[in-house]
Amino acid sequence: MSETHIDKKLWLISQNELSAWLDGIAEARTLVAPRQVSKSILYRPVANSKEIAWQSQFPKAAPPIRPTLSIKEIYFPSTERLFTINKNGQEIVLKETFPDWETVVFGVRPCDARGVKILDALFLDTNPIDVFYSRRRSNTTLIGMACQSLRPSCFCTSVGGAPDDARDVDIMLSEVDGGYLVRAVTEKGRFLIPGGEWEETGDHFPSPKFNAEFTLAKKGKLIEHYNDPYWLNISERCLSCRACAYVCPTCRCFIVRDEMIKSNEFERIRCWDSCSGKNYRRLAGGHRPRAEKNERMRNRIFCKFYYYPEQYGLGLSSACTGCGRCIEVCHAGVDITEVLLDLEKMG
Amino acid sequence: MSENLMLPYLAKIVEVRDLATEIKLLRIELMNGGSEAFRNFQPGQFAFLSAFGLGEAPFGIANDSGRGSAIDFAIARLGNVTTGLHELGEGDTLGVRGPLGNWFPMKKFKGKNLIVLGGGIGGAPLRPVIQYVLDHRSDFQHLTILWAARHPSLLVFTDEYDEWRSAPDTDLYLTVDNPDDKWNHDVGLITQLLEKISPSPANTITITCGPPIMIHFVTKMLQEKMGFAPKNNYVTLEARMHCGLGKCGRCNLGEKLICVDGPVFNMEEVGGLLETFL
Amino acid sequence: MFEPRIVAFLCSWCSYTGADTAGIARLKSPANIRAVRVPCSGRVSPELVMRTFDQGADGVLILGCHVGECHYDTGNHRAAKRIPILQKLLSFAGLEPERLRLDWVSASEGERFSKIAEEFTGVVRSLGPVHWRIKPDETITRIKPVQISPDSIPYPKIDASVKTEAIRQKARELLENNQVSCVIGYETNRRGRTRPVFIHSTDDVPRLVWNADCSNNLTGYLPGMLRPVRGKEPEKPVAVVVKPCDSKAINVMVAENLYRREQVFSIGVACEGMQDENNGLQVRCITCQEAVPIVCDALISGTTSSFIPRLSSDSREGISTINTLSPARRFEFWLEQFDRCIRCYACRQACPMCNCPVCLYEQDNSTFVGAGIGLNEKRTFHLGRAYHLAGRCVGCDECERACPMGIPISLLNQLIAAEIETTFDFRAGLAVTPSPIVTVLSGEYKEG
Repeated sequence: MSETHIDKKLWLISQNELSAWLDGIAEARTLVAPRQVSKSILYRPVANSKEIAWQSQFPKAAPPIRPTLSIKEIYFPSTERLFTINKNGQEIVLKETFPDWETVVFGVRPCDARGVKILDALFLDTNPIDVFYSRRRSNTTLIGMACQSLRPSCFCTSVGGAPDDARDVDIMLSEVDGGYLVRAVTEKGRFLIPGGEWEETGDHFPSPKFNAEFTLAKKGKLIEHYNDPYWLNISERCLSCRACAYVCPTCRCFIVRDEMIKSNEFERIRCWDSCSGKNYRRLAGGHRPRAEKNERMRNRIFCKFYYYPEQYGLGLSSACTGCGRCIEVCHAGVDITEVLLDLEKMG
Repeated sequence: MSENLMLPYLAKIVEVRDLATEIKLLRIELMNGGSEAFRNFQPGQFAFLSAFGLGEAPFGIANDSGRGSAIDFAIARLGNVTTGLHELGEGDTLGVRGPLGNWFPMKKFKGKNLIVLGGGIGGAPLRPVIQYVLDHRSDFQHLTILWAARHPSLLVFTDEYDEWRSAPDTDLYLTVDNPDDKWNHDVGLITQLLEKISPSPANTITITCGPPIMIHFVTKMLQEKMGFAPKNNYVTLEARMHCGLGKCGRCNLGEKLICVDGPVFNMEEVGGLLETFL
Repeated sequence: MFEPRIVAFLCSWCSYTGADTAGIARLKSPANIRAVRVPCSGRVSPELVMRTFDQGADGVLILGCHVGECHYDTGNHRAAKRIPILQKLLSFAGLEPERLRLDWVSASEGERFSKIAEEFTGVVRSLGPVHWRIKPDETITRIKPVQISPDSIPYPKIDASVKTEAIRQKARELLENNQVSCVIGYETNRRGRTRPVFIHSTDDVPRLVWNADCSNNLTGYLPGMLRPVRGKEPEKPVAVVVKPCDSKAINVMVAENLYRREQVFSIGVACEGMQDENNGLQVRCITCQEAVPIVCDALISGTTSSFIPRLSSDSREGISTINTLSPARRFEFWLEQFDRCIRCYACRQACPMCNCPVCLYEQDNSTFVGAGIGLNEKRTFHLGRAYHLAGRCVGCDECERACPMGIPISLLNQLIAAEIETTFDFRAGLAVTPSPIVTVLSGEYKEG
């Protein structure tokens, strides 16, 4: 793992010290962490460390906690108001509404952090800068938690990531016997660490057990097989339900609509959408490109592994973080690793 | 603080007139900051028009900025936003975002013959090209305009045909699929008209806009039957759009985004794309 | 003093004129009533009523012609059938049923109009301001978790190999004889996940399996595969492996003309039930009433006989539990559930019965629900969708299993199904009959 932390200081803290630190953060700012909400675990604001869903609350053999939705919803919420429209006859007044808060997110898995970096390439690093995303993003600190093992659906190692990848967080934690190892990765992270009574240690971050890497098809192979009848077969079971895109850390398609607040007041909002939906490209006149499921599935996979990286300068990396949420959530059993493995093996 | 390009400029409608059945021309003047942004828009660019309370949609700009500060849009009434725009009258306010997209490289076309093919309301984004050429007539060689529609009542900018016809070294051909009693020009598809004219590819650029199927068959004929090189056939494409800024991802045509890499493409680029625009 | 805002939908032919008559006779009617004139009370669709509550109405009054006097013959029949079901659904979601009233007023009954208007306004006034629409900065109270699923019944060991072999045999036979173009069945993928598979050739037949995880309702794929292409029906039928619950969906789809019965070859499996993620019997299987598929061209029965404890279909634990809560608690319960919803529409896409080319709740003009992914919109979508399944839902629970957020949406469907069964003695999918909500009354309504 590349040494990205700004100084070599490593602390070993106990659960109590961690809880106390998080309690302090929760009091001063908004702390968002994995939290049990009915049957799901989601990143939600917590009032104190007791509300967090800790790995230790689950059986020892349980897979690492990974909230059903990624942290993308913090920077790019499912619904966002762009501005309000006051309409009195032909007197129109537009009022911009910008988000404004400071958040610390705890328990961020490396795949989720990678997802945010991938969205940065679109919303921040490509002109024009998205004002809404950038405001939320600049005021957030990410406290990462390395995964000690992988979930069955995880494949971060096959797309250039790793369960202990610290590149994209501000602080990285790793569970060890007796507590957690902590190190600062960025200035912002260093600023948040109290240090003080924390015990410094010369230990190394433990290497988690990795899944075997898949050899997944890359851009070249995908392009080669764009017109293969394979897409018809693999997409037959797809329901065009869009759940995969909504749980994905990097899917970013959105729709913009005007909604009524009062008879003379409207808001223009943007909401999540997905290219897998059958009416995604429908035009008012009735023309509906990508009318077939195979075209939509192919587009989604190509976008993830070719179009998005190409359009937003990710180089050879894909826009996929290998988190595996789409595989877990798909009701019809569509598996992106299966598709890419099949394409890789094709002549 | 970065400028929020999702916020429209306000504009006033200075003229509304019927262009064809269910197609209106809206001429607008931008208020406040907008006029600066639109000072030098290029032929081929587009803008989002907001019918506040209903939504916004992209429309090709239908005139050349050299002719004044007002901006023309041809709107076909097809859905909620366009119905809302059709209900606006002179003096009413709407929102405009833009100018967006790339444009026709008119400087590259200097000294060449131009063939402009417009199908139905597809003619609207081509009108800036025609106006530019007419206003810089000596910069260009022969101008051929093929204008088509399904029916004479669907032809756009009929009151300008005389101006176009009477320009030097300019030919205008009209054709409709279904004529009416008063029709005395060609009858048939634009491809049949094109075949009749049989233009030479030498030093010639073509620009086509219309329904996807029309663009497909016109460029196919130009390339396969008449020997035009794909890179000399320009088209302007459309797709459903929501941001126009390359963020929302909706308008991709394979690896390109129609809102930022287009809407103007040449057929060599389009032919190299994975996805077809059909 | 709280003055309720009441929207009254009045039909052009009777009640609106009745209101006029009241006015001409100078009878006093409360000023709280805002009248909306509709051609017929039957036009007042549930989504219109929900939209009205969503926009802040404290009460909704629907007045139509007396049954038997409708200008359109049977328009008011629809109102008579639909509104009571809607009341039950809204009540289940925490809106007091007294806030919605359906009644009949003829053109000459000015006094009756006045009386009803006065009465209804009084009832709504005493209920107080409605708490239905959630304001943007309102937070929802977290209530104590309620048990909405019955106690788990362990899934017994079954020998699925006999059925697997029988299904493969049938599929091979159908494909070899060119009887069908495709067999939709189940396979197990490389991850051990059982999922739908589409077998187009006999080479792929060995992929077919039968096991305790054959949970998906495969009939959902039929409308897409059987639709006419350029005016022509597909040449050959499609075979589909169905469980008893799934097979009922075929009857509903045929009744709604999505395809013809002859276009489907049903490979019906006598099912012991399906297992859930905790190795227990799935909830819908505990209350399953059919052991053998209703729509069945070839029956695949196993050697084990059915063992499922047969509870009656309306003994779904969740419904009774929620009904014991107060309206305010019910309201909070459902908001807490819908808070998680991301409006991905997986529930709708997974449902075999949801087939509208453009969903009412996804239309660009958002007449009935806003486009945003906010609480009000999500609740209206789910309640509305559940309503649209009245008399059509076969209880396969695909919606709930498809939901990535684990929201117990099938409870809404079950509630409505139970109401339909009580009111009309009807269960969806047992025969090729449309939902009773779309047909006219046949003697079962007595004004009173």
